[in-house]
Amino acid sequence: MNSPQIEIQLIAVVVAIACAIPGVFLVLRKMALISDAISHSILPGIVIGFFITQDLNSPLLILLAAITGVITVVLVEWIQKTGLVKEDTAIGLVFPALFSIGVILIAKNANDVHLDVDAVLLGELAFAPFDRLLLFGNDVGPKSLWVMGTILISTIVLLLLFFKELKVSTFDSGLSAALGISPVIMHYGLMSVSSVTVVGAFDAVGAILVVALMIAPAATAYLLTSDLKKMLWLAITFGSIAALGGYWVAHWLDASISGSISTVLGVIFLFVYLFAPRKGLISVLYRQKQQRTEVSLITFLLHLNNHSEERERHINHLQEHINWQKIRSKTVLDLALKNNMVTVTNNVVSLTKKGDEFTNLALEYIITNKDEKIEHMKDDFFLFRG
Amino acid sequence: MNITEYFELLFTDYTLRTITLGTAVLGAICGMLGSFAVLRKQSLLGDAISHAALPGIAIAFLITGTKDSNILLLGALISGLVGTFWIRGMITKTHLKSDTALGLVLSLFFGFGMLLLTFIQKQPNANQAGLDKYLFGQAATLVESDVRLMVIVTGIALFIMLLFWKEFKLLLFDADYTKTLGFNTKLIDVLITFFIVLAIVLGLQTVGVVLMSAMLLAPAAAARQWTNNLGTMVFLAAIFGAFSGVVGTAVSASQNNLSTGPVIVLIAAVFVLFSFIFSPGRGLLFREIRFRQNRRDLHLKKTLQFMYGIAKTHENSSHPHAIRILNNFHGFTKGTLRKLEEKEWIEISGQQWSLTSEGFTEARDLYNQQKKDE
Repeated sequence: MNSPQIEIQLIAVVVAIACAIPGVFLVLRKMALISDAISHSILPGIVIGFFITQDLNSPLLILLAAITGVITVVLVEWIQKTGLVKEDTAIGLVFPALFSIGVILIAKNANDVHLDVDAVLLGELAFAPFDRLLLFGNDVGPKSLWVMGTILISTIVLLLLFFKELKVSTFDSGLSAALGISPVIMHYGLMSVSSVTVVGAFDAVGAILVVALMIAPAATAYLLTSDLKKMLWLAITFGSIAALGGYWVAHWLDASISGSISTVLGVIFLFVYLFAPRKGLISVLYRQKQQRTEVSLITFLLHLNNHSEERERHINHLQEHINWQKIRSKTVLDLALKNNMVTVTNNVVSLTKKGDEFTNLALEYIITNKDEKIEHMKDDFFLFRG
Repeated sequence: MNITEYFELLFTDYTLRTITLGTAVLGAICGMLGSFAVLRKQSLLGDAISHAALPGIAIAFLITGTKDSNILLLGALISGLVGTFWIRGMITKTHLKSDTALGLVLSLFFGFGMLLLTFIQKQPNANQAGLDKYLFGQAATLVESDVRLMVIVTGIALFIMLLFWKEFKLLLFDADYTKTLGFNTKLIDVLITFFIVLAIVLGLQTVGVVLMSAMLLAPAAAARQWTNNLGTMVFLAAIFGAFSGVVGTAVSASQNNLSTGPVIVLIAAVFVLFSFIFSPGRGLLFREIRFRQNRRDLHLKKTLQFMYGIAKTHENSSHPHAIRILNNFHGFTKGTLRKLEEKEWIEISGQQWSLTSEGFTEARDLYNQQKKDE
């Protein structure tokens, strides 16, 4: 590994962490798409800033572009408040319009601007180490590393200072207002931090990757935990892993670094989406199937409880009476037998003492409208789950 | 070339005519299907799907090695549909919300598409130039066969829409009711979504990935302001869409260095802004005017009510009182006093006012709703 390679990886990790922190809050506040809107609508801010400063890394340009980002949020909220269109439509109207203005501004001044839309939208991490920051004539490292490093440190400081406030206003804005923590200030604070991060990162990694780095690690972490602190740590970890992994994939395929970082993020998300314990797709589908069988079992036991006559309890009769398919009836009957709820003698099913107890308790909960208690009851009675 | 020259050339110049026709048809189909997207609260689906289409284009190119736009669009359509159904799967099966799901599909698919595009660029058989036109769109590359495809798809979409009009409408406004009536809601839902995705994919070549969502949304959002009727809205949205397409092409053709996509989007945005402000029913301007009228009316009635309260205590209801005892707390201004006098509800002499018998009856019946309705 040579030094530009180390620098690229360092920048990638710093950007990933700086994006993951505000990303967690955006995902929790159901505002993930605001990051997409900001990342596009800062374009006119960047262009105007560039006309003034002629330098993509100048603090003034970052400030101007970040202000455009906040203006986007204000505009979206203003349109929403008129009640003429829904929130998502407001987002969808504002950012393409601002982006178009940016594109036209660039096109009209194409001759004297060394800036093109591809670069803003897609970015190129591979070039980042070539833009050096010179301090008193000494080369102190790539500019974007310094820019993103500053943004990351300020983000962390703000996070540590306002962690409690952010937490309260994210999960319960009513309580937060009652406690004297203005949810509005927290909202705009978060929006400003997100804007600054997006602007700082676009030059290195491009607007789309910023969105990926904000949303994907947070969403992946959200599938694994419901604890805010753990979620932040997990998001930072996933972001960093993707940044490093993405770099080497790009190196190996000789392709765009930002593209491969998002691809690695996608692979990590897909894996967690499928296999996450409790909240993953497979576990959700399995639980749904289990619950379906268990509901059927309760129906079955209630049916047995209702009928003392042998004709109604005959094993073949049940199938037509409750109107189940053959396999389904067999699954339910097996489950009931395994759990010692029923016994079968001469093809007649009857409730055991335990089954009787279970059924009566379940019936009581159903009658008194306490269905949710059945779930706990299952833990007490079942040896095997559906 | 200025605008008038453009319209003269429109009838003679082949390229210009093709492009104008293409953008007009595109605007119409986007407006038409966009109305459904907006009403179904799927506004940002357009944004997500247009980005999600990119890997499909790249994979289609990698497999076939051709740049035939129909095959590339087929790839885009497939990957757009995969994206749509994944979004739906995430929303229904996990606790991730729709905004997160949309953002994930948008950025992850697009990133993967970028990876593939840059990978293709490094390949030796470098006939891939032009794939990136799908990123920002180039209306200028439209040829007659593209326009023909658009017209055919628009025709099919229109036909299906008219055929299933009742079902679409019902599902849009009351999905549960539709289900209880025995309609296959899943099928209708998939059908609408399919056509929305199709419209998005068709527009990629013309306006590009980023601006496609506005193409879908803006005409529909503008049309929504003028009517509460679905049919009218769809029709208006199609007109707005086609119009922004034509005007956008005209403006961009009459200037140097103006790409068509952004101009079309800005024209559509102007339509939206105009509709937001000037639509008679919902628009901000008329809403403000109505608001002020109501406030003035309320002030007038407040003053009258106060006067009535005083006059009631006197035997002679038109006994004069000093103007001084009124204050603006009771809605009193010089203007309201003059208005009241114009209506002949009060009489003013010097610094005194007195209620007329007409004013007295009016004030007495002010809050008597039954009397009002007669």
